[in-house]
Amino acid sequence: METKIVSKNFDIPNAHTIEVALKNTRYESIHNLIFLKPQTVIDMIKASGLRGKGGGGAPSGAKWQLASDYIGEKYLVVNGDESEPGTFKDRQIIAKDPHLLIEGIIVTCFAIGAKNAYVYVRGEYEEFSNILQLAIDEAYAKNFLGNGAIIPIDITIHRGAGAYICGEKSALLESLEGNRGHPRLKPKKPEPEFYFGNPTLVNNVETIASVPFIVLHGAEAYRAYGTKDSAGTLLFAISGHVNSAGVYEVPFGTSMIEYIEKLGGGIKNGKKLKAVIPGGASTPILPAHLVKEAKLDYESLKALGSSLGTGGMIVMDEDTSMVKALKNLLRFYHHESCGQCTPCREGTSWVDKTMDKFINKSATHEDLQILKGSSKSMNGQTICVFAPAVSGVIDGFLKHFEDEFLECIV
Amino acid sequence: MSFTQANIIKIASLMHRYPQKKALVLPLLWLAQKQEGFISDEFINTIAELTHMPYMHIYSVASFYTMFKLQKSDKKTIEVCRTLSCELNGSEAIKKYLVENYSKNYEIVAVECMGACGGSPMCTIEGKYMENVTIEMLDEVLHGN
Ligand SMILES: Cc1cc2nc3c(=O)[nH]c(=O)nc-3n(C[C@H](O)[C@H](O)[C@H](O)COP(=O)(O)O)c2cc1C
Ligand code: SF4
Ligand code: FES
Repeated sequence: METKIVSKNFDIPNAHTIEVALKNTRYESIHNLIFLKPQTVIDMIKASGLRGKGGGGAPSGAKWQLASDYIGEKYLVVNGDESEPGTFKDRQIIAKDPHLLIEGIIVTCFAIGAKNAYVYVRGEYEEFSNILQLAIDEAYAKNFLGNGAIIPIDITIHRGAGAYICGEKSALLESLEGNRGHPRLKPKKPEPEFYFGNPTLVNNVETIASVPFIVLHGAEAYRAYGTKDSAGTLLFAISGHVNSAGVYEVPFGTSMIEYIEKLGGGIKNGKKLKAVIPGGASTPILPAHLVKEAKLDYESLKALGSSLGTGGMIVMDEDTSMVKALKNLLRFYHHESCGQCTPCREGTSWVDKTMDKFINKSATHEDLQILKGSSKSMNGQTICVFAPAVSGVIDGFLKHFEDEFLECIV
Repeated sequence: MSFTQANIIKIASLMHRYPQKKALVLPLLWLAQKQEGFISDEFINTIAELTHMPYMHIYSVASFYTMFKLQKSDKKTIEVCRTLSCELNGSEAIKKYLVENYSKNYEIVAVECMGACGGSPMCTIEGKYMENVTIEMLDEVLHGN
């Protein structure tokens, strides 16, 4: 069931050192580049069907093209902010196979014509980003990076400092420019991101780590895994009430319940499954009967009223209080709103406080209406999709577990 | 307050990596915090000068990010994740135990998801990750403190 494309070297001892990495195919795709034009590489990524693995699932090739089409100074920014609750996959790449990430960065810079790459790593991951820094130093020493390299680029790690919203790509760029992490207004038509006014490509760590395989083995080899619209594999993660929490790479299209039982080791203490949050906290919850139908791909989860997100599943057993679980998440969102937009700043505070009344079993029908009305009050009026995601989370809980909320009304 | 000689060398090499000095705000705040344990007012002034930005810009950035400490603290820090996967696996009891037994020498802080949900409940002691935390583990590591 496990299919190790990106995680191929994870279990090899010392795979983070360059000696071991070189013995295990790392940097081999760089040699292929000598015979390829940058546009050919972009076309390969398009043909592979690679989609962004940071949560949005945007087709990567099209994004690369947007950045590549500009002439002049360009940048690659790798998003390693990884702060979506339930998500802990990028960290595995950074700590277990950092040379894979470096290799992916070199290929991507070649394809779009960038000379500088930044890896934005969340501040809490200091231990792990130190491993990446050592790997970068080794890559400089071996002339894979720097002026003496075939593709001369520089990689700089930029350390975040504790702010969930900095994972949103425009907030991340603001942070990288030395500002508060406030998301920017979105452009009307497709364009790249901009770093100090220069066209910039922002991709997730795992997206970039998927690139070497495609360049080495071809687009068709990647497409051989997964489904028509969700090509390849993903480092799905599982946590919560399961016996074997962890990160296991499988092809898109894998059955969710099989993943939970076989790789996640089933529900702890022999309990029954109640619900799963399928792809990080911001994706709407699925009750057990829908989990049984679900497949781990973009289309299936969308059809079930949720989404694939980051692929980080949070599993809850039959004894879990859905009221308490929603309170936990709304406290998180209240804490993490960047505060720029009034509907989000006030709305997250309001729903979080309203949940206290449900926890204390002193809620009224009006309080329930406040939760139900959140999609009206928080949707479509904000700079980024943080606020609409919060109302999606609330709607999911109420759609499937309203009876538990009704029980808390006096 | 000024940066040590070693840090000045680091800063000089970092300058080449960014298109504008302003991009150094976060890296310099980190260096300052590493050097002094927190970010003093004097350091904010130093960073403002180095990046050609107003004092208020540096201050507002420093206060936006939860990991920057603007106050000096004598206590070491233990962070306990309180987000969903950790709560499902008993983080509340871990936090309670820490507060009851180790508050004297440690500042115990609840934090949001640290990307260690697979090892929940988790905490960090002075920034170092500890996963699948049990009370026994905590006693063993913190014993004598
Ligand atoms: C609130 C919010 C938080 C996000 N956090 C992350 C994150 O931690 N890591 C990440 O790669 N993408 C995150 N994203 C998605 C990014 O905005 C962006 O789409 C992504 O980095 C693009 O890379 P990809 O196309 O390779 O996925 C977040 C988006 C939003 C709205
Ligand atoms: S929606 Fe929320 S998080 Fe996004 S920009 Fe507005 S206030 Fe900030
Ligand atoms: S929920 Fe605690 S580390 Fe993710």
